[in-house]
Amino acid sequence: MNNLFNIILGIFIFVLLWQSCIVVLELPTYILPSPFEVLTALKLNWKTILFHTEITFYESFSGFLIANLISIVIALIIAFHQKIEDLVIPIAIVIKTMPIIAIAPLLIIWFGPGLFSKIVTSMLVCFFPSLINTLRGVKCLDRNLLMLFKIYGVNKKQLIKMFILPSILPFLFAALKVSSSLAVVGALVGEFIGSNKGLGFLIISNYYNMNTALVLATVAVSSIMGISFYYIIHFFEKKFVLRSELSI
Amino acid sequence: MKLIEVNSVTKEYARGFYALKNLTFSVEEGSFVSIVGPFGCGKTTILNLLGGITEDYIGNIKIRKESPAKARKTRKIGYVFQKPALLPWRNVIRNITLPLEISGIEKYEKAYDLLKIVKLEYAAKKMPHELSRGMQQLICIARSLILDPDVLLLDEPFCSIDEINRGKMQNRLLEIHKQTNKTTLLVTHSLNEAVYLSDQIIILTSRPAKVKRIIDIDFQERNEKVFFSEKFLNYLKIIKAELSNE
Repeated sequence: MNNLFNIILGIFIFVLLWQSCIVVLELPTYILPSPFEVLTALKLNWKTILFHTEITFYESFSGFLIANLISIVIALIIAFHQKIEDLVIPIAIVIKTMPIIAIAPLLIIWFGPGLFSKIVTSMLVCFFPSLINTLRGVKCLDRNLLMLFKIYGVNKKQLIKMFILPSILPFLFAALKVSSSLAVVGALVGEFIGSNKGLGFLIISNYYNMNTALVLATVAVSSIMGISFYYIIHFFEKKFVLRSELSI
Repeated sequence: MKLIEVNSVTKEYARGFYALKNLTFSVEEGSFVSIVGPFGCGKTTILNLLGGITEDYIGNIKIRKESPAKARKTRKIGYVFQKPALLPWRNVIRNITLPLEISGIEKYEKAYDLLKIVKLEYAAKKMPHELSRGMQQLICIARSLILDPDVLLLDEPFCSIDEINRGKMQNRLLEIHKQTNKTTLLVTHSLNEAVYLSDQIIILTSRPAKVKRIIDIDFQERNEKVFFSEKFLNYLKIIKAELSNE
């Protein structure tokens, strides 16, 4: 309850400062519309925004899912064959250091202007933090427990199911949390570069029309999407990861 | 009958860095044997070799006429580590049944019998973090017995437990040994613990470890009075004298 009150208070202060800036600096609507104008733009265009939100959600969620699945598979392979890490990590670093805004046009050339190129953009943004966190989980496996499983003659499938996956769960959720908000950013960047649908497209097309109120409304919706992703994962983390482990 | 036979075993970790050199000893079936020695002399290495965890060594080790690796595969070995090795996301009973699940054996009721032996029936549904360290180790001992192994290997199981509770745990361990009659090999730094619990004590030299002396311990009965007996103090004196030269 106290937490909710703090959030509401924070939003209220932010809106107050925003409105004060407009009044004090006498800013025109095309530079900074008032909170009321943004809300009005949201209300008038909600069907359009909803349509584009669905597209961005699909792209970012798919990219997020693929990136994390690949990370888990790679981390599991590295758990059994540690030498592969030396091969994978440099590639992951190269992917990470490439500015996504620079390679997004290439992805559109390679994968077309449709949804798939945006899914790949989103996936590339999520991949590195997800891999690093999942790998950390694999490296932190309890050596004693590993020996214990060895003593009982466990096979690889049992080891993954009974030990590795439950052990890396806290790290896995950290990876999911970090990549959840990044996935939305990745999809938006892809849409900025070449698309005729999605929230990124809506932002860029309204920016050209100087419809700043709608741009801000769309930005707010994409933020809400990222935050929702994060909190859905947080909810599942609380459900599946032990309280004692969360408090460490 | 000799259950464990260790003959001229040498273990080299790095080139010229020996943990064990020409180690030879044997353990009678059903006996309780403790291994004591200076810090870092290779006591845990011996347990790892017997447990089949470390497989590269020179020499000959047999557990009921089988190599440790084979004995491990045929589940003749129960192992308890220094630190309680429990899965934090499983409750007590599911931790005990873990070896059964791995082996595909569905005799889960045996876990409740073992909980009775370690006197922790009430903790069946508790999570490991709800138990004290001593209790966690007792759960580990119960788990190590679930596949009915021939040998129980204990690597300083009570090393981080306070003196009073340690005494209780030692008594509990004696009772478990009495009830199950499992051949038990205990590595410990506590000479009191070794003398109190064991039928035989193997004293090792400093690294690379060799057997310095084997002492047979003989008490009519084991209870707290034993600690104050002349016999107990004599055993301690002998062991301390052997170790002080190392």
